[in-house]
Amino acid sequence: MSRRLAQIICAIFGVVMFLLFFSPHPAARTIALTITTEYWQVIYAFALIVGAVSFLRVNVKNIQRGQDSGYRIISLIGLVAMPTVAIIWGIGANTPFMWIFENIQVPLQSTVFALLAFFVASASFRGFRARSLPAAILLISAVVILLSRSWVEGQFASGLIATADWIRSYPSMAARRAILIGIGLGSLTTSLRVIVGIERTWLGGGR
Amino acid sequence: MKLEARHWTFVGLLIVVVGAMLLGVRPDVTISDETQRMFEYIDSLPEGSVLIYSFDHESSSLPEIRPAALALVRHSFSKGHRIIGVALLAEGTGIGYRLMEMAASESGRQYGRDWVYLGFKPQYIAAILSMGESIEKTFPQDYFGTPYDSLSMLSGVVNYQQVAGVVSIGDGNMAVHWIEYGQSRFGIRISSAMTAAMVTTYDPYISSGQLHALIGGLRGAAEYETLLKIGGGGQRGMLAQASAHIYILLLILAGNVIYFVSRRRRD
Repeated sequence: MSRRLAQIICAIFGVVMFLLFFSPHPAARTIALTITTEYWQVIYAFALIVGAVSFLRVNVKNIQRGQDSGYRIISLIGLVAMPTVAIIWGIGANTPFMWIFENIQVPLQSTVFALLAFFVASASFRGFRARSLPAAILLISAVVILLSRSWVEGQFASGLIATADWIRSYPSMAARRAILIGIGLGSLTTSLRVIVGIERTWLGGGR
Repeated sequence: MKLEARHWTFVGLLIVVVGAMLLGVRPDVTISDETQRMFEYIDSLPEGSVLIYSFDHESSSLPEIRPAALALVRHSFSKGHRIIGVALLAEGTGIGYRLMEMAASESGRQYGRDWVYLGFKPQYIAAILSMGESIEKTFPQDYFGTPYDSLSMLSGVVNYQQVAGVVSIGDGNMAVHWIEYGQSRFGIRISSAMTAAMVTTYDPYISSGQLHALIGGLRGAAEYETLLKIGGGGQRGMLAQASAHIYILLLILAGNVIYFVSRRRRD
């Protein structure tokens, strides 16, 4: 029964949101605004609680087993500390929350992302091989695009940028459009399957 | 510890990038059509136009995206545009505010009169859609908790109809959401500054006109700074980026030479 109820709610909201999106009627616009500014945010808040509880359970369980305990304790401290400072001092500019964010999270994340450059350098030496004709075409295209985004000037550069533009405007764009249309049709089909109740994996369980 | 080949490639990259940064050379760059288009778009907006700058990126891409964002905001302030700053990814919130505050203080723009910062709103699709109906209902107060209707700049700004355009500063697919829900649903003009890796993703949208203009990566930022006739992080980073690119190309070349030589020997 609970699964059926969830399915009915999902179908009703799916159809209503679809109709609201295309309706210019003032009443429809008001309902759309209420749903997007209020209901949607409430659902998001509940989803966050589920995520936080799940994160807590997984980490506590692994700490008890002694798996990567140090890292997990730091994660849990972060999970508790950030909401605590946010609740006490707020999240605006010049608050402890923002200080932690700007001086701990931003440098850490930038550092991790910067490591990608080293992996790319290593992978370019070991992995980017022209083993076949398609691989060679891909490699040459990548080199042309890379150079066109770099600092190259003069007669050579204008030819290179023209070639890069041609790659972007024709083969790359054709592939992108095909992928986008595929994604669009796939999303539409999946949404319809969920609304009419054919697709039920989102409800969880094996059936 | 014995150093392997990959460790030497790491060391080489470090030397190349640090060396290029230390040289401090700011190369001139040729302006691409896409950057020129973005410059002309911002430049053509009349004084007093309201623009939304949406900081839709994470801190990981900050070194690449910040120069472009700063150049755009500086340009807007110099043209007398009124700017609304928002963030649809939580990490962009503080970054966006600091950047706008810096650009505003450089050009003597006053908070509340010339620019406001509304902060972060979770659920980006919901936020984009609801701003099309009412910006005040989406952001009842600004980043500091000041009520929307107390900010003089926002007087008369109800929804996208009073906004000249949105500039999404992003490192992912957020500009796609702006296009799908902002441009398609409400007809708001969308432009974007994005990381170089994302530029080709947006080619179909540029071609169809759904994305009005874009600047991509550090090169785009350097080009924009050249057009503005100001220095900045884009020009500063160009030599380091170009050196790293050439270093990687040499590695690809070396890897392929070794591969073909060893294959010939094996055959």
